[in-house]
Amino acid sequence: MTVGPVARDAATAEFFDGTAAGRLLLRCCRAGHFSEPPAEQCTTCGSTDLAWAAAEGGATLVSWTVVWGRPSGDSEPERTVLVIAELDEGPWWWSQLVGADPAGLAVGQRLRVEFRRATEEDEAVPVFVLGDVTGRDRHG
Amino acid sequence: MIAGLGLTAVGKVYGPTPAQFAAEAVRRAVADAGLRLADVDGLLTSSGVTGGISVDLQRDLGLTDLRMLSHLQSYGATAATMIQVASLAVTSGTASVVACVFADSPLGPGRGAGAAYGTRRAPAGWWGLLGASGLVGANPPYALAARRHMTRFGTTTEQLGHVAVAQRAWAALNPVAQQREAITLADHQASRWIAEPLRLLDCCLVSNGGVAVIVTTAERAAGLQQPAVHVLGWAQSHPGHYLRRHPDFGLVTGAATAGPAALAMAGVALADVDVVELYDCYTFTVLVSLEDYGFCAKGEGGPFVASGVLGPGGKLPLNTGGGQLSGYYLWGMTPVAEAIVQVRGQGGERQADRHDIALVSGNGGVLDHHATLVLASAAGAS
Repeated sequence: MTVGPVARDAATAEFFDGTAAGRLLLRCCRAGHFSEPPAEQCTTCGSTDLAWAAAEGGATLVSWTVVWGRPSGDSEPERTVLVIAELDEGPWWWSQLVGADPAGLAVGQRLRVEFRRATEEDEAVPVFVLGDVTGRDRHG
Repeated sequence: MIAGLGLTAVGKVYGPTPAQFAAEAVRRAVADAGLRLADVDGLLTSSGVTGGISVDLQRDLGLTDLRMLSHLQSYGATAATMIQVASLAVTSGTASVVACVFADSPLGPGRGAGAAYGTRRAPAGWWGLLGASGLVGANPPYALAARRHMTRFGTTTEQLGHVAVAQRAWAALNPVAQQREAITLADHQASRWIAEPLRLLDCCLVSNGGVAVIVTTAERAAGLQQPAVHVLGWAQSHPGHYLRRHPDFGLVTGAATAGPAALAMAGVALADVDVVELYDCYTFTVLVSLEDYGFCAKGEGGPFVASGVLGPGGKLPLNTGGGQLSGYYLWGMTPVAEAIVQVRGQGGERQADRHDIALVSGNGGVLDHHATLVLASAAGAS
């Protein structure tokens, strides 16, 4: 499995505009504290004056799990790696790690954000891949 | 005071709706107490993954002129929370006989446990995004929590296995347990991965059924047919760490604050606790809760559970009915019901020798909601 289907609603419309443009949008208050995208108020200072701000895309690994599909017949069960990643801006994001061998994972490993869609009709979903953000990946 | 306990048939019991299980549980609890349904003047309801229970249960039970009626929801912490609310109600005079009930009916013929709890959320909005990312059901987030504990403290899958093996040994002595066949650590290690580091035998069962508890005043309980179970202490803690950044996620639970608070209210030291009934949605939940209550130091839950203290004959009687892992899974009512059985001394083959004081935990969401109860016999309360 890569990512599943997801549609936007009123609360997530701007966020998914961001992912469509290759940006993971966070919430940011006037004091410059970053909060998770669904935050209704700043998780540091409580401010409700929040704007969207793009994450740089770099993160470190906090925790991971390998989810195994139900065994069926002779085929190997499907395996999906899910992670908690600490974004360089501070918030944690819970998503999938794609294209990585889970055997070598360790807390603190560098990750970077990419995006995947279930189908062309679905919204783009932030996922992680192993490796650091390069200059070319950065966006402001 | 807890004066009545009603447990319906549990497990793969197909047919009844959640509301029908709930009504039957209340009727059984009332009969167990030696009361009549008409004596009930307060009703607290709680539903599980399939919903289907509400304040409409009043009509199903033919109850009229109730003095208290409400539906509560803090997931796996609800059962212990209902006992707290009911205790406050009877001590304040809001009501005199309060029935607290939970029931659920997620299993159907040909419908597996995974299907019951793994349903993908509506694929829109923030919850839709979480599901689209792969975080479906409770297994992945609890696995992420357990992994944090392992990477921080060196906890191992074999240590988690000791919890599963010990609880299965208790379940073998419990006639209503769903899984009673003995397992070994090797069986645990051979069970398939669900979400690493959690194996099949680290995960709780899925059950149909209902449990109700009757809470009343000391005066009223004194003349009834069951030994009264005193509700000596209680506390809640709702950390709110899941899906937010928090250094304690997976490492410290609400038991760390609610446990000492409930024991202080009860005037009981941890060393005085005879029986421990913990919410065990996963083996890991037991291990981390034991640390947070102070049965061992933080980070030492792994060596502690592997040291032979658990299981029949061990020095810490824990989840003596098999718990949710091997007994039956009716959310927070599983540990509450077993604590009542033990404190009354009605555990039969699985009865703990000393059973005057029981510590009970509830856990809801992904370690989001915690409730602790301290229950006691007449001797334990004096």
